[in-house]
Amino acid sequence: MTTILQIEDNRANRILVERVLEPHNYTLLHANDGESGLAMARSSSPNLILVDMGLPDIDGQTIVLFLKQEPALADVPIVAITAWPPDVAQQMTERYGFDGLITKPIDIKSFPDQIAQFLA
Amino acid sequence: MEVLPANQFTFEQATDAYNMGRVDYLVPMPMSVARLREYADKYDVDINHSFISVDGEQQISGLLMLGVREKRTWITRLGVGPNGRKQGTGKGLMQAAIDRSYELEADKLWLEVIKDNDPAHRLFMRNGFTQTRELIVARRAPTPMDVAVHNITNVSLLNRTQMAEMLPNRRLRPNWLNETESLLNIAGLSGLMVDLEDGSRGWAVYHVGLYKLENIVVEVLKGDLAEVTTAVLSALHNHHPMRDSVAANLLEDEQWAGFQKAGYFDAFRRIEMVKPLS
Repeated sequence: MTTILQIEDNRANRILVERVLEPHNYTLLHANDGESGLAMARSSSPNLILVDMGLPDIDGQTIVLFLKQEPALADVPIVAITAWPPDVAQQMTERYGFDGLITKPIDIKSFPDQIAQFLA
Repeated sequence: MEVLPANQFTFEQATDAYNMGRVDYLVPMPMSVARLREYADKYDVDINHSFISVDGEQQISGLLMLGVREKRTWITRLGVGPNGRKQGTGKGLMQAAIDRSYELEADKLWLEVIKDNDPAHRLFMRNGFTQTRELIVARRAPTPMDVAVHNITNVSLLNRTQMAEMLPNRRLRPNWLNETESLLNIAGLSGLMVDLEDGSRGWAVYHVGLYKLENIVVEVLKGDLAEVTTAVLSALHNHHPMRDSVAANLLEDEQWAGFQKAGYFDAFRRIEMVKPLS
């Protein structure tokens, strides 16, 4: 079973991602802020981490810096999900070392394929 | 819709109101209760002069926080939730802030709005605000800098007394976030003085936050504005090589080139606006 950790503070966004991905045999873990997201990433060894850039305690950009320093997570793709304007989001993604970017609102038709590509 | 003093609510409710207003905002910036409290302390936001709106069902629908410093007031964290939109909530909160600013005998009411947030910009213009300048919020991911190229001869740490003497003497009028009052509200404020081989000199004052460097202010005392800025920042980031950084409310001038050369990039922009009250 492939496990995806979603670090997302917005309940509606979290539920949407769960509903779209769970039928594709993914197990979804959820953290609603950066602190708990970092702890869960370290303890649960997910196959993929989705990080909202705008979190209430730590920015997603800062979280990816911490996660990338974890040897156990070195091969785990970390993907930004954000409502930032696309050009800024792209710049943040590249500068901070995310492995990919998905802009909000997610496209529920293509979202499972996007996730599968990051896991391939 | 009704506008009520924010001190009738808990800080947790104020935080919820703020986050609700930002849920689909142009630049998503949710805050935890701890982060909002820290923000209020740092920027002299007074909960006794701030406002929360409620809808017809008595559900919280919006928030406006007011910073107060001598003869100046500052609108911040203004947000209207989905249940308060198209009902005059923003206008009602604004009017409460304007009225309170008159009561406090402020001579200017300041605010910043995210660039391209046209509905908010129009609301402020209709309420008598004029645009003063465009400000850059810049970020920098931790990347190595070659400090050697700047021919730095000395880097010395500044103490609080030195920083308090230097901060009021800056090249340009700082924005509310970077004003001396904001910086001196930070208990763990840090500073560096940097000397270069050719006699150039500059300083940086900043806060080593839990996760990133913030409240970064750089001032050049002697030498080329852009080059010395880059040199000062290289010394700063050499001192804190693993820290993410945010420099808020910079002007797009010669110094911005120095920030960019040090690895900063434009995350988003704010428009500073003011309403004269006297």
